[in-house]
Amino acid sequence: MFGRRRDRDRRSAAHVAQHAAAARDDRKVYSKRGRRLPGEQSVPSYTPSIAARSIDGHLLRTGQEVYAWYRLAPQRWSFRSDSQRQDLIAAIAGQYAELQGRWMHLRVTTRPYPIRMWAEAHVHNAVRRLPDTPGTLSFDDYMVGEQQQLMGRSMAEKEVYLGVQVQTRNMMDRAVERAAPVLRKVFPDAVDAELVAIESEIDHLDQVIGSAGLEGRPATAEEMSWLMHRSCSLGLPAPRNLPAVPGAPWEPEDLASFTDAADFHQEPYAPTVTVRGRTGSNAGIKRHVAVLTVGLMHGLQIPEQDDPWVQRSDRLPAAVEWSARIYVRRPEEVSGELQRQMSKVRSQVRHYTDEHELDPPQSLARQASRVLEIDDEMTSGFTALGTRVRSWWRLAVSGPTEREALRLAQGLLDLYKPKIAIEHPEAQYAIAREFIPGEPLSSSAYLRRGSVLWAASAVPTATAEVGDRRGILLGETVTATRRPVAWDPWMAQELRDSSGLTAMVAGLGAGKSFLGGGIVYKTLRAGAHWTLLDPSGPLAALCELPELKPYARPINLLNAQAGILNPYRVVAEPQLDHFMDEEDPERSWRRERALAAATRRRLVLDVLSGLLPYEVSRLPQTRIVLLRAVRTVGGRPDAHPGMVFEALRRDASEHHEHAVVVADFLDEMRERMSLLIPEQDLDPYNEARDDRLTVLTMAGLNLPKDGVGREHWTDAEALGVEMLNLAAWLTQRSIYERPKDLRKGVWIDEAFFLSEVPTGRVLMNRFARDSRKWNVRVLLSSQIPADFLKIQGFVTLLDSVFVGRLDDDQAQADALRLLKVPVGAGYEQVVASLGRRPGGVRNNVERDRAPRQFIFGDGAGGVERIRIDFSGPHLEHLRNALDTTPDALRDGQESTEVEVSSPPQDPFAYAEQYTDEYDDELAADLEVGLTDELVDSAHGEGGNRRPGREGSA
Amino acid sequence: MRVRTDDEVYRVDAVWLGPPRATFPWRARYVAWGVGIVVFLLVTAVQRQVGFGFDFINTGWGFVITIALTRFICARISHERPLSSVLAMWVRELTAPRETTTGRGGAASAARIRVAPQRPRKRHKGAKRASASARSQHRRQQDRRQKEVRGVRTPA
Repeated sequence: MFGRRRDRDRRSAAHVAQHAAAARDDRKVYSKRGRRLPGEQSVPSYTPSIAARSIDGHLLRTGQEVYAWYRLAPQRWSFRSDSQRQDLIAAIAGQYAELQGRWMHLRVTTRPYPIRMWAEAHVHNAVRRLPDTPGTLSFDDYMVGEQQQLMGRSMAEKEVYLGVQVQTRNMMDRAVERAAPVLRKVFPDAVDAELVAIESEIDHLDQVIGSAGLEGRPATAEEMSWLMHRSCSLGLPAPRNLPAVPGAPWEPEDLASFTDAADFHQEPYAPTVTVRGRTGSNAGIKRHVAVLTVGLMHGLQIPEQDDPWVQRSDRLPAAVEWSARIYVRRPEEVSGELQRQMSKVRSQVRHYTDEHELDPPQSLARQASRVLEIDDEMTSGFTALGTRVRSWWRLAVSGPTEREALRLAQGLLDLYKPKIAIEHPEAQYAIAREFIPGEPLSSSAYLRRGSVLWAASAVPTATAEVGDRRGILLGETVTATRRPVAWDPWMAQELRDSSGLTAMVAGLGAGKSFLGGGIVYKTLRAGAHWTLLDPSGPLAALCELPELKPYARPINLLNAQAGILNPYRVVAEPQLDHFMDEEDPERSWRRERALAAATRRRLVLDVLSGLLPYEVSRLPQTRIVLLRAVRTVGGRPDAHPGMVFEALRRDASEHHEHAVVVADFLDEMRERMSLLIPEQDLDPYNEARDDRLTVLTMAGLNLPKDGVGREHWTDAEALGVEMLNLAAWLTQRSIYERPKDLRKGVWIDEAFFLSEVPTGRVLMNRFARDSRKWNVRVLLSSQIPADFLKIQGFVTLLDSVFVGRLDDDQAQADALRLLKVPVGAGYEQVVASLGRRPGGVRNNVERDRAPRQFIFGDGAGGVERIRIDFSGPHLEHLRNALDTTPDALRDGQESTEVEVSSPPQDPFAYAEQYTDEYDDELAADLEVGLTDELVDSAHGEGGNRRPGREGSA
Repeated sequence: MRVRTDDEVYRVDAVWLGPPRATFPWRARYVAWGVGIVVFLLVTAVQRQVGFGFDFINTGWGFVITIALTRFICARISHERPLSSVLAMWVRELTAPRETTTGRGGAASAARIRVAPQRPRKRHKGAKRASASARSQHRRQQDRRQKEVRGVRTPA
């Protein structure tokens, strides 16, 4: 590999010379040691050209030292509070402090995840995908387009390794290692004695590195192999296939698989070192590597103002390799040195003032005070954080040409300006070798001294990762890194066992529909089934896309068959075979049925009292008579609100008169309630269709204006809200009609009404409970985050969140609460600035077509600012379809109205068997909040809406 | 949280201004004085070797060369890059592997292998040992050269 052997391994000069010669003469020099059997060929012995000699598990042995290598866990940095970040830094510093007297080798490398690998995973994940429609964009073309859009991008994953010196090896250890082949036969224990002896020390290190902060775990054999490969082939593209990882330890001869993969060479005082690949996929590939080093550094405000300084390099649009050598010093060693520095300063001051009567430079006074400061840090308070380190931090960037590598190096310099100086030292080859685990430090230049706190504030493990690597492409992150963001909406339910609830909050025109529409389109292509409730209607345009048209159906609920929103039917009837995996299927099914019946009754009660004039509905007796009538009708799926009217008229209690009044009020609205009451002998649910996409629209629905209290709603507005609520239940019903494992999605736009109606929370609970079991992704979008926060316990049920631009201060804070991001830590401005165009374009007549930005919390711990990017040419028709911005110059689109028919539910006999299920029924009633105590409280909630909503999108 | 390095403490510019009360018009670090002395000795030694005599003019020139060289060296070293590491990096530059432009190896050739059509056999019994040993070395070689086939590609 490294043409000339530079062995600073002093163990045997003669041996080294022999092997240097061996390398030169094609290893023709044969060892004369040992006796051979007659006829046995002499085999040239091999010494690796690197310092490493063997790798056992996560232990790497060189001639002099044993290092234990750990893989450090990535840490989220963005959208955390400063105190959380400080805690992280302090925890890491504490871990460093425990490693006093040891050398550490920190390596940051990347594991590329090219877009083609994403495509592979995505196609593999796209089960039961949409059949291609001839003449339209096929799935293959779509995948090609997706890959072309992100050509050359990589979802590279940053990997951080930390090697910790376990101990130095003595002569005996090395002698035993040399004699291992013979000793293994004679005295096997002796061979392993060295590693066995340090076992307890390694356990201690494992525990120190493994605790919170670094969260390192011993590197696996595969990871060691990767690290060695990346280091020995520094700057080359990642090998497509690594040699198999052996089950046994790597012997010196095995290390050739790392060192032979590439060789380094450089011209004297060249600005870069050339790395040439020799084997595998990199054979013949040449890269120029510029190795830089961290120079002087100003004081940094971490985490308040500055990024962790190692993480900052992630902003460079190319992979940056880091190698840092850190020696954690013992306090006594430092205090002696500090005293020497102090006396140096004093003698200089004396030299200036006493001997030459000159004013000493200001720097001397500053240095003296800094010495005292450091001394104070080391002796007072929590002294561990005052531990000092000596360190050397190197960075490497590579390019196919020297020019390209130097351009990237210049980019790094600019990136760190002005607070941190990045230097470009000579001896590039020697410094490049430092990146290889086990190699000694090549030069003591650019030594950085500081406290462990300073070293910890580098936080190399801080990442900006969000999303996953197999889902649909949403766009890219726009904070520290530019990284494609993929999201599989069903991964949470299928792998992480979390709910499938997603909130999407953004102001008007912030790109909610665009994002949601894109998610629906892309997941449909990948095999999902969606039901959309879009009250205003523009999403029906999705059904017009040629590739979706055969599988999609828009339904305008307002023109639909009578009885489609029958509150008794929108709640699905549980079926026994869905409970077969439970312990007691029969019992669970009965419980579920009781719950469904109770939900129906609750829903009818809410809908009817919501339809009554506000003054009437507030009267306690209204509540009482309605409740009684609803009870009388029961919770059968074949009932309808008309039966409740009749029950009201038949009310024989002391409130009979009032009951008749209520019935009259409701009867008056009967024509307008035709969607709720089916016509005689007609069941709108009897037609079965298997549509992949169903868009329910309610174009023309009257919804209350913002900030208008419940008491001022008109009848039409009250009806509108109730119908919307029922429509939401209808979408929810759709998930029970498909197989459990099938990937299903429900998107409810304008989901603000969920907080307006008491059954909103019940619906939410059902979504949260069943989304995992039924593999459903529920997207709820609204313009005001407070709408969601009003629903009790909603935040805890949430899985992922998209927050777009919001202008109102309160809304911004609420959005951060949804994201579970600290409020009041300055992130409100981020929400306000999402996707905002820079100033000076207020009077622009061109439309703002810049990609919209969202803060995406993926539910797996990642929160990042992302830019939605559906800009590929293959998605142009989608963009046009989703363009909801009004344009007078464009031809008006008419939503097609299709005969209403929803998939069926077997109308099976609903026997009156509630009598023996009283407990279940009561439990169910309690669960949906259908009890008599509710009479007083039910109408208090949801009245006032804050201003801020400008109208429906 | 303000984090900073301790580097400032170690960047004490230790200068020697001259003997007490006799301040030099320049300020040089101790390391510059050290480098200067060594350079001066080297320069003087070189002068002697080349053949310049030890007189005022030559020593004066020696001083000038020393100052120039010392300034040159000191411009390249700093607290960041101490003299020792600059020297070490210089050595590393010299010993770094270079690109090998000359090719090695190539097609394997068997041209140098001698191929005889027949293996040597035991001589006829009647032949006298004495006569065999009497044959001159030279003749024997000549004889063999006629027989042997050189190179696989050019059979005799």
